[in-house]
Amino acid sequence: MRKKLLTALLSATLIVASLTGCGNKGNDSADTTEKANQTEAASQTETEAPAELENVKLTVWGSEEDQSMLQTMIEGFKEAYADKAVFDISLGVESESTAKDTVLTDIESAADVFAFADDQLNELVSAGALQPISINTDAVIEACGGAESGSVQAATADGTLYAYPMTADNGYFMFYNKEYFSETDVQSFDKMMEVAANAGKKVTMKMDDGWYLYSFFKGAGLNLGLAEDGVNNVCDWNATDGKYSGVDVTEALLNIAKNPGFVSLADEAFVTGVQDGSIIAGVNGTWNATVAKETWGENYAATKLPTYTLAGDQVQMSSFAGYKLIGVNAYSDNAGYAMLLGEWLTNYDNQVLRFETRGLGPANVEAAASESVQSDPAIAALAQQSQYATVQRVGGNYWSPAETFGAIIVAGNEKGTDLQKLVDNMVEGIVAPIQ
Amino acid sequence: MKNIGRKIAKFFSDIGNAVVKGDIFVKLSLLIMGAGYFGRKQYIKGIITTIFQAAAALFTVIVAIPYISKFSTLGTVEREMVFNIDTMKNEVNNYDHSFKILLFGMIGIIAIVVFVFLYLWNIIKVRELQILSQRGKHINSFREDVRALLNQKFHITLLFFPFLGITLFTIIPLLVMIMVAFTNYDQNHMPPSSLFTWVGFNNFKQLFTSTISVTFGYSFTKILIWTLIWAFFATFTTYIGGILLAMLINDKKTKAKKLWRTLFIIAIAVPQFVTLLLVRNFFADLGIVNTICSKIGLTDFLKTIGLVKDSLTYIPFLSDPNWAKVMIILINMWIGIPYLMLIATGVLMNIPADLKESAKIDGANGIQIFFKITMPYMLFVTGPYLVTSFVANINNFNVIYLLTQDVFVTHNQYLANSNAKETDLLVTWLYRLTQEYYNYKMASVIGIVVFIICATFTLFAFNSMIKGDKEEEFQ
Repeated sequence: MRKKLLTALLSATLIVASLTGCGNKGNDSADTTEKANQTEAASQTETEAPAELENVKLTVWGSEEDQSMLQTMIEGFKEAYADKAVFDISLGVESESTAKDTVLTDIESAADVFAFADDQLNELVSAGALQPISINTDAVIEACGGAESGSVQAATADGTLYAYPMTADNGYFMFYNKEYFSETDVQSFDKMMEVAANAGKKVTMKMDDGWYLYSFFKGAGLNLGLAEDGVNNVCDWNATDGKYSGVDVTEALLNIAKNPGFVSLADEAFVTGVQDGSIIAGVNGTWNATVAKETWGENYAATKLPTYTLAGDQVQMSSFAGYKLIGVNAYSDNAGYAMLLGEWLTNYDNQVLRFETRGLGPANVEAAASESVQSDPAIAALAQQSQYATVQRVGGNYWSPAETFGAIIVAGNEKGTDLQKLVDNMVEGIVAPIQ
Repeated sequence: MKNIGRKIAKFFSDIGNAVVKGDIFVKLSLLIMGAGYFGRKQYIKGIITTIFQAAAALFTVIVAIPYISKFSTLGTVEREMVFNIDTMKNEVNNYDHSFKILLFGMIGIIAIVVFVFLYLWNIIKVRELQILSQRGKHINSFREDVRALLNQKFHITLLFFPFLGITLFTIIPLLVMIMVAFTNYDQNHMPPSSLFTWVGFNNFKQLFTSTISVTFGYSFTKILIWTLIWAFFATFTTYIGGILLAMLINDKKTKAKKLWRTLFIIAIAVPQFVTLLLVRNFFADLGIVNTICSKIGLTDFLKTIGLVKDSLTYIPFLSDPNWAKVMIILINMWIGIPYLMLIATGVLMNIPADLKESAKIDGANGIQIFFKITMPYMLFVTGPYLVTSFVANINNFNVIYLLTQDVFVTHNQYLANSNAKETDLLVTWLYRLTQEYYNYKMASVIGIVVFIICATFTLFAFNSMIKGDKEEEFQ
């Protein structure tokens, strides 16, 4: 009897749950129709006044945290261009870091305007997904500091501007705790590791990751970049003839990896390490700035990457400069208005708004020059590092070989593989044609 | 096979017969499919058939032919666009979309084959009608035809939609994916902006060869071996574990049977990916298990006996290839055994008690009973399950992917150069190739190879293990 009661109860809850589920949906659709009616009414009043205005439907994808801010910006856009067309702009969630994958899955059904990280630019361009920017191009370039500036370079392929620079804070730099390090200490990686080792703490950087590994090789003057086809890589990290050879860099990396003051940690472990106090300095990006700021408080500081010891010399570490961009879908039915919207979302006012609401470093030079932006330690550190940073232009075959190479280094090259062989293998994988 | 041949021969001889011996209406139906029905006063059927014919002809001309004509090249015109500032829109040329050509070309070809078959079959049917009317027999009205579909011919009505569904959602996508293996559909050739084309067996060659920079052949062999090892252990550890657990719980001396059973079923009730991701974090290099192990000194003990390298401060549960492989099998046991326990409980309860009792009277001990009665009975009942679960384990994506993604970095540079890891199964490798590297053609080739392996194994296993006459043998 009791069992029957239980079953009855369970099924009743299930039914009620499903009914309320449907009920909610019903309400939603009622809401949306109501909204639709409202907009329809609004558009009717708008259309009545002047001659026939074109109806323009656009979709925008932005990250989840940006949604309400983007909505404000879109409302502004609608107002500013109210005399040109009647807009129906919908907003969707798509993280900047995964935009490329979603867009390339089905370009034709992707959003007209979407935000993405600049490392995805070349793959998007070679897949023909990005609309070359052809409205107010010169003004956009000018606002970001001219054709030579990093953010414009990051949005350019083959001399054509393919996206609107949005933020200039997606690179990495050195966080440190002022309680342990002086400003001169943080100039050298060796000194930092020494200080950390003496204090029984660690300095960290994720070495088994192509993104960070690049800074050592580029710092040594070795090159990695895209081949002319825009998809495959060219790489000379196994060079033996330059000032520093690939083996030199590898030896330097092995020395760092086995230093007692160093540990190679992934993002999450970096966060836990900072919180439990075992990590007192590390290479990471703005996305972890808040954690460090909250934990270290007054002692939180950030600066450019240090120098490291390479074949007896001190060499400045390079880095990938990271930008976030707004692109326009080449398959958009309203490419023109999509471009205007892209430009709107990245104009001076909205970049300032973006910094004020979300703390993101502007790509717009004027906005970046403001005092409030300059006083942010993380953004200031990125600006310092920017002279050593290069735009990220690598093909898909780079990551996996570089990751494995880094992992072998972190483990101390246990099998004792010849170092030249090690870099040769990695370069073979990096430059392997995609086929 | 002979039977099918005979049927085809009969089909065509019937058509010949109908065309030669048919009257004017039958001959007319060569031109207008409905004619034969109009001749026998089946007007509605005639109209429907004629409409069908017109629709088929329209579909062929408008949809199928344009795509089929490009099927041999998969398109030649690349997309070009120019932005027009006056209209604020892009002006785009009439470009070819390789994937659509492949898909609709395929559908078009299938549709045309079906049309031709129906057209020929129609002639036979019309001829049959002629014979009926010549003999003065009853010819069904439309209403009677419909009623027949609900009664005598109900199986046709019943199977029509499932058949349609399987064709649309299984057979056509499958054929298209198989076709992709013979093209160069990858990151350099991604529609709609670029075209891809046929490359014959090149991709298959690539899978079995290794050059210095392209190591597909090397990785394929390594991964295939691990896939088979994994499938074997994953299947049999959970199988035996499940039976033992069920016997333990079923044993007369076990108290609180329901409690134990419920506890194990809770493990099933939690979604698998949640448990797997949690377990992955537990066993991470800096995870909770490692903290406990180093506190109780297990890490140091393992170091002294050489299972953990001296340079490490943790046990590389999921980051060293050998450790990871063992751990994956163990974690899979934990997830899989409760399922098997459920199945085994049911089967064990069905073993006739008199069998065991008579064995006891004959002086057999527990182990003998287990190997002579319980196991043969279990194997007999669950044989088909074992085969399917082996195949399912070859394709067991969840466990491997969720436990190793973002945690396991291979130290083997040759594997890394073809985006593979030691712990990868063929499916997870395939997934990474499509999802992260857009290498659809190689993924399709791997998919075909996986299918061949699974199909061969299944056929072999079913034929040798579970032949129809085994039941008598068992009794």
